[in-house]
Amino acid sequence: MKFHWFHLMPYPELPEDFKESHRSVWVDVPSSLFDPKVGHRAYNEYLDELEYAESVGFDGICVNEHHQNAYGLMPSPNLIAAALARRTSRAKLVVMGNSVALYDPPTRVAEEMAMLDCLSGGRLVAGFPVGTPMDTVYAYGKSPATLRDKYYEGVKLVLRAWAEPEPFAFNGKYTQLRYVNVWPRPIQKPHPPVWIPGGGSVETWDWCVDNDFLYANLSYFGYIAGQKVNDGFWATVDKKGKDRNPYRCGFLQFIACAENDAEAERLYSGPASYFYSRCLHVYPGFGNPPGYTSIPTMRAGIEGMIARATRRQDVENLTWKEMISRGYIVAGSPDSIVQQLETLANNMHVGHLMVLCQYGNMSKEVTMYNTTRFAKEVIPKLRNKFSEYEDKWWPTGTLEHMAEPAPLTALA
Amino acid sequence: MLNAETIRLKNGRAWQVYGGGSGPALFWLHGINGIPAGDPVLAALERKHRIVAPVAPGFNDLAELDELGNIHELTLDYDDLLDHLGLEGIAIVGHSFGAMIAAEIAAHFPRRAKQLVLLAPVGLWNEAYPGRDVFAEPFTEVESFLWHDKAAREALQARRSNEAGPDDLAERIVAVAQSLTAVTKFVWPIPDRGLRKRLPRVSAKTLALFGAEDNFISPRYAEDFARGLRGLQTAVIKGAGHMLPYERTDEVVGLIERFLAA
Repeated sequence: MKFHWFHLMPYPELPEDFKESHRSVWVDVPSSLFDPKVGHRAYNEYLDELEYAESVGFDGICVNEHHQNAYGLMPSPNLIAAALARRTSRAKLVVMGNSVALYDPPTRVAEEMAMLDCLSGGRLVAGFPVGTPMDTVYAYGKSPATLRDKYYEGVKLVLRAWAEPEPFAFNGKYTQLRYVNVWPRPIQKPHPPVWIPGGGSVETWDWCVDNDFLYANLSYFGYIAGQKVNDGFWATVDKKGKDRNPYRCGFLQFIACAENDAEAERLYSGPASYFYSRCLHVYPGFGNPPGYTSIPTMRAGIEGMIARATRRQDVENLTWKEMISRGYIVAGSPDSIVQQLETLANNMHVGHLMVLCQYGNMSKEVTMYNTTRFAKEVIPKLRNKFSEYEDKWWPTGTLEHMAEPAPLTALA
Repeated sequence: MLNAETIRLKNGRAWQVYGGGSGPALFWLHGINGIPAGDPVLAALERKHRIVAPVAPGFNDLAELDELGNIHELTLDYDDLLDHLGLEGIAIVGHSFGAMIAAEIAAHFPRRAKQLVLLAPVGLWNEAYPGRDVFAEPFTEVESFLWHDKAAREALQARRSNEAGPDDLAERIVAVAQSLTAVTKFVWPIPDRGLRKRLPRVSAKTLALFGAEDNFISPRYAEDFARGLRGLQTAVIKGAGHMLPYERTDEVVGLIERFLAA
């Protein structure tokens, strides 16, 4: 099994009464709430945390893309990944953005990701999310009726731009380019592994399985609620006659690792409640714009959609006990976490586990503690799980001898 | 009594078109709610007119939108239908998004419309009164703010259940989502596709009606339409929201009939 340390980069100082005084944490959250000095500290501490994750043995460090969002301060994950590329040397850079349909032309994504792969010595994992409705259709104004179609076309263009050795013309429905010719080129051949974040739409399962892309189920609601989506994915794998290699699939899980249950509650219940009550406070009107979900997917989930209207209230008022019993957060002593993750891995058949050890307004100190205990006492016990499978969704061709940043004193 | 028939064009496009009544032709372009079963507005209008009311592309089947990339292609699609039906120099009446299409047809092909009626028309944008974002509301809530008159809304619902069987919440939400999807293709994220520039091409005599309580299309848009349409007649219907023809059917139909008869 592989373990990846995922950062959402939340704004850590939303006011106490945020959910009473504002309708949404996303899209129209007033930017007057953002203090750039807090931003300076947060970005730098968050980079420290991601870099620390490499030093304690995580396989990958993950960043993602969100716009106009107070719980995700990474409109450009590529900037963060570039900063990480200089101070890390072993961990793979799992960039779970770029939402290809947002960029005109999409070759911009091919260029920047190729830069990252060169800069990092071939350590890039290329994530291509469709993007949430909040990011794509509201913040970036893309039509929900054509978003997915434009996304498919864009990803095809990016992959082709990486693979073709000569300039070519591209006459697409959404992009027309007389000369596609991406400089630089990625180190990995024909291109970095492609990971697709998803949340349960039928079309994405088909697309991942048909193209052998990794499917990453990025849920904030843990392995119990996320089971259904993974079942759907694996059913699609079976239906299409592909192998049930667990490395086809990734899953995101909140972690609260401590000496015992009581310490876990003391350290992590505050940040968790900050996350569920403030960071997930999204105006329901932004959740499902017309056309974003296909009619068949919508019909399949219509009852859930009606229920979600009431769930908002429910999620925002969760107690620590409920977060644990529902599996939103895997908490407790290292041994207890090993047990829970064993169940997760078996039930969901997941080879790539992405963990959130920082969430809400968790301090750097607590984040480091959570990260250290997880790395030292949990990862080693699960490391050999699924070792009988070959991971074909992981960077290959990473350089053995990587350039290192020169010490500044040498220049004097 | 309206009947629906499927009309197949030479280019392979199939249209579902409602028709009924007799008299001068009236081309009706429905709004966001489509053509409800037992549509009371069309039932009133067919007393003096021959109604021709096509179902907008996408409302029955989203695949119909695949080849319609923009508002011009959509307008051509309607022109093909009007050609097939041999309709020219007629009255074109549209509601909401349908009024935007009506204005586009009259601007692209001025000979098609002799008279034009726009009911709470979408299509212009004024940042001083943008109106509520109908595309950023839960599907379950959309209807509640398009209507001002609750009693009228319930009456239409009852009429619909009477005609088409009991109301199924899930199916109605799917229908709302599908209708809005068909509309978003041409108005996302702001319903301005350049109609302002084309309005002076319209040669039809035009009437525009607005709901005083419409919080989606403010009645102040009357001024914006008047700037592009010479001699535009306008009226504001008291006590009506965006669904004004369904909220104040007698009054709206009366105004339309008088305008068309003049």
